Amino acid sequence: MKVSVVRGGGLAGVVETTTADSATLAPDDAALLRSKVDEAKFFDLPGAGPRPGAGADRFHYAVTVEDDDRAHTVHRAEADLPAALGALIAWVSSVPGRETGLAPPG
Amino acid sequence: MTPTPCPQCCSIAPPDLLAAIAERGDPADREAAQRTLAASAVLRAQREAATRRRREGAEDGAALGVAANVGGRRTVYDAGHGTEGDLPGKKVRGVGDKAVADRAVNEAYDGAGLTYRFYKEVLGRDSIDGKGMELVSSVHYGTDFDNAFWNGSQMVYGDGSGRIFARGGLTKDVDVIAHELTHGVTQMTAALDYSKQPGALNESFSDVFGSLVKQRHLDQTAAEADWLIGAGILGSALHGQALRSMKAPGTANDLDRQAGSMNGYADLPDDDDPAHDNGGVHINSGIPNRAFYLAATAIGGHAWEAAGRIWYVTLTKHLDAGTDFRAAADATIAVAGELFGAASPERQAVSGAWKEVGVL
Repeated sequence: MKVSVVRGGGLAGVVETTTADSATLAPDDAALLRSKVDEAKFFDLPGAGPRPGAGADRFHYAVTVEDDDRAHTVHRAEADLPAALGALIAWVSSVPGRETGLAPPG
Repeated sequence: MTPTPCPQCCSIAPPDLLAAIAERGDPADREAAQRTLAASAVLRAQREAATRRRREGAEDGAALGVAANVGGRRTVYDAGHGTEGDLPGKKVRGVGDKAVADRAVNEAYDGAGLTYRFYKEVLGRDSIDGKGMELVSSVHYGTDFDNAFWNGSQMVYGDGSGRIFARGGLTKDVDVIAHELTHGVTQMTAALDYSKQPGALNESFSDVFGSLVKQRHLDQTAAEADWLIGAGILGSALHGQALRSMKAPGTANDLDRQAGSMNGYADLPDDDDPAHDNGGVHINSGIPNRAFYLAATAIGGHAWEAAGRIWYVTLTKHLDAGTDFRAAADATIAVAGELFGAASPERQAVSGAWKEVGVL
């Protein structure tokens, strides 16, 4: 199972991509990754969220989970993240063995 | 930590230690130390300017124990590392309250006060809504959160992860605080869509008034100002001096791709791809940012006096949600004519600036 989190927007406007792959994580973390995806009911979430409300400099996320023969991407504004999806993003963003990259917007 | 009368002005580590690390530390530490030293230079300048103003009897009353509401009604909350649903959090400092032990709280409080005073004393605007609205700020949002934002009703600051923003960096620069607060002013006035050209203008007005609040705080002329947004607060993964440069868009850090003229305009879609940033609002804002810089430096003197007033009257009276660059340019020129005269150097400077960046 591979989880990619793309985060754009924010005051800086830079794009950060963080990927956690169960194939390269420690066995316990690989199991935890799967349970976090299950807890978020990720494959049941609609791909698109509501249009962002008022505000500026907010983050936007695109989270993709690839698992065997299925893949799904969920787009959400930071204000509209369901709690369990927020927890998955926070976990992926801090797990040892994750890969991260920064890029300009575009 | 001991509460201090002017917490915003105090440095974190002794400069000598930082200088030693900057010269001899390992590369990561060296870079961090160099960044901190750069930030300290800004803080020193702020401290000197603050001392100057205190001597002139014009310093924020909170530090002197006189009328505490000079900086407006403002309250700082601790979000306790919670997220949107937890805002604003626990109240930690209200108007007139003494400084607390938490540096981020005091910086958010002082920055909101400086921004309030700028709008009130320079532009005659009483707070975000013009009617004395309370300025609400929350600090310690999320965990290692690399962002500060305006959520539609208040300012919110993360702690920074050390990667994009230095830890504690997001409340360090008054231009960042004023940038966020100005998003509130824009929301209550022009209500520019946060998308494509209106969104880039929305971003640009926040950078313009963010920089002007800093310039006034430091008592700088247009020629003396650094025109940087977020100087000295970058984390280890962004290499450069600041987030953005209004003077030289695209040069502030190694991932800065801001356009400085229409030749570099990035026509990105406003879709749900996070990389497109609402249609490039933080890339294309470089174009109106540089137009403001060019106009202000051509006029000379304090940028907030003429150029700032022209931009403010334009924002609050002449724009609407869908205004694009050309319409905004036309409006600033018309306002410059109304305020200073059709043949005035101010109007000529504004017109010339928009031509130079290729909007007109």
